[in-house]
Amino acid sequence: MAEYVVARADELKPGDRKLVAVGRIQVVLFRVGDAYHALPNICPHQFGPICEGKITGAIMANADTGWEPGWFHDGEVLVCPWHGLEFRITTGQCLAYPNVRLRQYPVIVDGDDVKIAL
Amino acid sequence: MVVATPRRLTLDDILVVDADVHVHETPDELAPYMDPEWRPAMENLRQVARRYLDMPGFGPNNAPRLPGTSLPSPRGGRVEIVWTAEQMRRELDEFSIDVGVIFPDHFLKLAALPNAAYATAITRAYHRWLKEKWLHAGNDLYATIMAIPQDPEESVREIERWADDERFVGIYLPTHQVYPIWGHRKYDPIYEVAQRHDLPVLLHAVSGIASGFPYNVEQFYTSITAHTVSHVFAMMSNLMSIMETGVPVRYPNLRIGFIEAGLTWVPFLRMRLDKEYNENRHQWPHFDDRPSRWIRKFYFGTQPVEEPENRQDLVDIIRIYDGEDTTVFATDWPHHDFDHPRAVFDLPVSNQVKRKLLGTNAMKLMPRIKVPAKYR
Ligand code: FES
Repeated sequence: MAEYVVARADELKPGDRKLVAVGRIQVVLFRVGDAYHALPNICPHQFGPICEGKITGAIMANADTGWEPGWFHDGEVLVCPWHGLEFRITTGQCLAYPNVRLRQYPVIVDGDDVKIAL
Repeated sequence: MVVATPRRLTLDDILVVDADVHVHETPDELAPYMDPEWRPAMENLRQVARRYLDMPGFGPNNAPRLPGTSLPSPRGGRVEIVWTAEQMRRELDEFSIDVGVIFPDHFLKLAALPNAAYATAITRAYHRWLKEKWLHAGNDLYATIMAIPQDPEESVREIERWADDERFVGIYLPTHQVYPIWGHRKYDPIYEVAQRHDLPVLLHAVSGIASGFPYNVEQFYTSITAHTVSHVFAMMSNLMSIMETGVPVRYPNLRIGFIEAGLTWVPFLRMRLDKEYNENRHQWPHFDDRPSRWIRKFYFGTQPVEEPENRQDLVDIIRIYDGEDTTVFATDWPHHDFDHPRAVFDLPVSNQVKRKLLGTNAMKLMPRIKVPAKYR
């Protein structure tokens, strides 16, 4: 596994993202709070450019909400711009299908550099 | 050397449960079972001309009688009515059917009655009449408790009254002209009581048509058109409604069955819905996986069973909706479009699957049904 510098440590503020190309692979670096996450820029549905999607929260309902809609994961949900599949940036998990998850690339903060490992 | 060849399986070798037979309730029959305040109303109905599944105040068909729907059928002949438990038993025996699950005739249109108190009164009388006239010891006939959509609270009380009676094996949800459709949260108490008593809810379609129900079919002027789609449309809208409010998620142990719309619509609806869900999960936030994962748990009655030129096509359809364990045989006896068990028995499937489709799936759906003496 090789490490690639993809951003400076002061470059992304919380809520920001950056699309980077590492060879032929497009990766999106997200900053959520103080943490970084790196996901592929490709939606598993019909391969939409997921990086261009909105970052928001999600409506969910469960026994804890009395089956009424509640707002969850504010600022942590990426919505594919093509057909709206929602993914948690922090885990890669698709909210619509338990068995669909985006790959997560390891992110390393090394001094002034933010690196991802591929 | 003589080698014994195994005898071919026949209908008589396997348990056949018929998930849908109809008894003929009439004002005459029910009047003695009515609460006193409603008995005169029922006695008045004796004056009304008898029309099959079409009686104002009893089994109302609000569609105009059009030439295409009221022309006599060239079939002629057979009277499509079962009057007594003995007649039912005899006729089911002729079809090698071991167990019958009773639904009403006229009260297929119960939901179209506008007066909730009256709908409740006839429901109460109907259940007393069933118990006394139909559910005799050892005749292997069982009944469904009729839900009263006009008054869910009263309906729950009536369900509780019969829920411990082992001959009532499910709760029948009328669909004809039901308003609102069955997903509405006002019906939650009915689902709650059903789940608590481990009674399945069984939606039953009928081809009665009325303005706007189900969706413009009143504009057809032959019954082949209406009959092809009306049951299916009614089932689709009710299934969607139940999904929309998350009934199967909120009542995870509730078993839900759809009776009298055939089978081929099921794969269509599942696939369309899964496709829509892909874009619109947030509108149905109670689901955390594709909706077909829940539809897969629903049960579907075979009748009127599709009979494609290639029988294998229907087997494929059943596979596509994962129906091997959730498809239940039904005749709809004695109605005009009944199916003989052979229509399902002759499908190109293994003997084990035949047993499931014709009997054991229904026993899973309605576990209160006792295995008849012959098979014990
Ligand atoms: S491509 Fe992303 S939702 Fe369709």
